[in-house]
Amino acid sequence: MNITLKCFASLARFTPPDAEAYPVSPGDTPGSVAARLGIPAEEIKLVFVNGTHAELSAPLRDGDRLGLFPAVGGG
Amino acid sequence: MPGAKSTGVDAQLEKRIRALAQVAHLPDGRGISVLPFYFVQDIARTIGRSGARSGARSRAVAADLPGQSASAKLPGRPKGQSVATVERAALALGILPERYLRNHDAYSLEEQLTLLDSRAALVGLGGLGGYTLELLARAGVGHLKAADGDEFVASNLNRQLYATRRSLGGYKAAAAAARMRQVNPAVAFEPVAHFLDAEGMARFLAGTQLCLDALGGLKDRATLARQAAKAGVPLVTAAVAGQCGLVATVLPFGTCPADFFGAGAGAEDSQGTPAPAVATAASIMAGEALNILCGREPKLAGKMLLFDLSRMSFETVTL
Repeated sequence: MNITLKCFASLARFTPPDAEAYPVSPGDTPGSVAARLGIPAEEIKLVFVNGTHAELSAPLRDGDRLGLFPAVGGG
Repeated sequence: MPGAKSTGVDAQLEKRIRALAQVAHLPDGRGISVLPFYFVQDIARTIGRSGARSGARSRAVAADLPGQSASAKLPGRPKGQSVATVERAALALGILPERYLRNHDAYSLEEQLTLLDSRAALVGLGGLGGYTLELLARAGVGHLKAADGDEFVASNLNRQLYATRRSLGGYKAAAAAARMRQVNPAVAFEPVAHFLDAEGMARFLAGTQLCLDALGGLKDRATLARQAAKAGVPLVTAAVAGQCGLVATVLPFGTCPADFFGAGAGAEDSQGTPAPAVATAASIMAGEALNILCGREPKLAGKMLLFDLSRMSFETVTL
């Protein structure tokens, strides 16, 4: 199964080439995906699954849209 | 006039506004009743000198009186308050001041009048704050205050609207005040040239209807959200890092993006704050603020609009 992955701002450097159809396995979570991509856990401040705030431990399903967001405060 | 709806407009003023109103034709051919810009100025000028026998004499007297405002001495420049009075009166009579003509479809006459009577408080006059203030003033928000203790430095020039070669080294609040007089004198603008602690924020937000978080960095954002909640006013917040940005509306005691981000370093420390992202975030913030101030439902309450100009993607998520 595949998900769509978006890494925002400073996390964009971790975006894999196959982010539009990123392969995941049953049992995968935003946390496990982030770990596989090498994103330091402390850099992820907000997680969105299908446009709604979610936990790093939320189960992922086929076709989910996952967004990972760092702290952003510039003005 | 029996049967006529009371507008609360002074009879003399109403007579003059009605006499000078014209029909402006929109590009699509529709006609709209408008008070031309220079007639607003003319009428406001005479209101400013109410009680004076002649304009020339009142100027001469004003020049000799200590404590007279500078605007009273200047021939030809009406007081901002008088301009606001004329614009409010025209709107109450169903006549649109020409300067707001191209707002006519976005904001009804009633909403335009509501905006002129509304009060918003902006914290931060850097990249986000400059653009947001500019947009709210041009839209005709009648009472604006803005706080920033900072002075312009060269690294502000890439994005901060009021940072110019001339304003470098000066207070951002002072540059904003000068700009407000140029852009829309009907706006009663209160600049505050110091940084606000929690107590200062509480005082600053007293009597306002809406708080705009245009701070730079994460240090004070959660505090500001708490103070806005205590003051019982909605908060519109925006932040930028690189080509990405976010805008959210936080109703009192609702979820705020800053609650998740902590008070440490943000991605902007490594990615900077380029102008297009800053101006985009400020525009969305201003659009939402105007929605709220003219009495519509906030569209981003409990939500967060995210954009990424490197991908040209926009998405609204639920917090």
